[in-house]
Amino acid sequence: MELFNAFAVSLQAVWADSGFSAFEAGNGIMILVGLVLLYMAIVKEFEPLLLGPIAFGCILANFPRTGFFEEPGLMQAIHYGIANEIFPPLIFLGVGAMTDFGPLLARPVTLLLGAAAQIGVFVALVGAMLLGFNVQEAGAIGIIGGADGPTAIYLSIQMAPHLLGAIAVAAYSYMSLVPLIQPPIMKLLTTQKEREVVMEQLRPVTKFERVCFPIVAAIIISLLLPPIASLLGCLMLGNLFRESGVMDRLSDTAQNSLCNMVTIFLATGTGMTMNAHDFLVPQTLLIICLGLVAFIAGTAGGVLFGKVMCRVSGWKINPLIGSAGVSAVPMAARVSQVVGMKSKPGNYLLMHAMGPNVAGVIGTAVAAGTMLAMLK
Amino acid sequence: MSHPVTTNPLIIMLINMTVVFLVLTALGLVINLIHVIDPTRPKEKKQEEALPAEPVAAAEPAPVAEAAVDEKGISPEIVAVIAAAIASYGYGVEQIRAIRPIQRDGWKNSGRMRLSNRRS
Repeated sequence: MELFNAFAVSLQAVWADSGFSAFEAGNGIMILVGLVLLYMAIVKEFEPLLLGPIAFGCILANFPRTGFFEEPGLMQAIHYGIANEIFPPLIFLGVGAMTDFGPLLARPVTLLLGAAAQIGVFVALVGAMLLGFNVQEAGAIGIIGGADGPTAIYLSIQMAPHLLGAIAVAAYSYMSLVPLIQPPIMKLLTTQKEREVVMEQLRPVTKFERVCFPIVAAIIISLLLPPIASLLGCLMLGNLFRESGVMDRLSDTAQNSLCNMVTIFLATGTGMTMNAHDFLVPQTLLIICLGLVAFIAGTAGGVLFGKVMCRVSGWKINPLIGSAGVSAVPMAARVSQVVGMKSKPGNYLLMHAMGPNVAGVIGTAVAAGTMLAMLK
Repeated sequence: MSHPVTTNPLIIMLINMTVVFLVLTALGLVINLIHVIDPTRPKEKKQEEALPAEPVAAAEPAPVAEAAVDEKGISPEIVAVIAAAIASYGYGVEQIRAIRPIQRDGWKNSGRMRLSNRRS
């Protein structure tokens, strides 16, 4: 009998300490959301390298009584890396090492397309404020339009940490949907004649230019906008690893092992911010809708400015490359290439679109820096 | 957290877009400046200067290639495609001396290779 009692008490204690006793409907819904995101990542291959860990992090975050963020351990370390803006700059280090700024250096005027596409950020910001979000939250939501995951996370942490999960999921989801979102807007806003514009071949870029650019850009942008010095500094440092020609081992580490490791931590940690309490609110749906508005407005802004540049340059710039100004490297540039090829087979726009594409990365970071300086 | 400068969304939009354009324009100017002070640039310029003289003298190669077209049976479209492919690697059309079909039968070669592979 005593054995039976001890067994029953133990079972009760196990049950009382288990996650099941504290499990709520919200946790169940969020685990389902995580499973849907996993399905999209694995089966539909929507940004699987990012959405996969985000989805799994979302599932982990909704197990009650894990004490992930209260007790020291791996999960708390990951959370520390996110909450203290450690991971986004490290991702940018890898992005810089993977980025070829050559097309941008060969045709610097495409920087303006990267700037024009940032209109999506601010259209979403206006929309968010009209829907009742405060100015910091609106700024963080607007940055989804920049189509740059690390920058979106970087800004959200500083301006609206409670919205991080929804903003990150919206940003990465729409980035994976760029091939579906952009082409109809690009076709709607351009004529057949504009889509058929063949661009002149880019001039060769010397090693001197390639090495000087990251150094000078880091100095100028960091002095102008110190809040994004760590992001832009790491981007340019990674690019210097790549272009210097004498730091191949560092470049290799930054673009492969380091970037992959940090991606695991950043994406899992982002997913772990998606707990039911913060995520299952009406604001999440609004954020997802505003993210779509931001993407559409950014694409439209880039294409419309591309049309202006097309006229000003005497039909030497194809407006389709303007849509690549929304970052999402290199997918947005690929979309310009695909739409251009459909309009005129043999018209290769990929390298021309890479200019505004990488300009968009810098533009989004600058927009984030300006908002941090102005709104934080 | 300090107070934001303004909460008017349109003013925020206007100021931010202006700053983004100004910063990226400044960056564009810097890129142009780097290009201008590039010590490796004059060599390229000399090459570029040397080239225009050639096309005048060597402006004929394209018609020559076209003349060869009629004789050898290569259509102007194929010549254009080959020229475009070469141009995409950074060479001028004037640098193409001739486009001639190789006097080999691809099917024969393929058959030969298959036979030799079987033997080995």
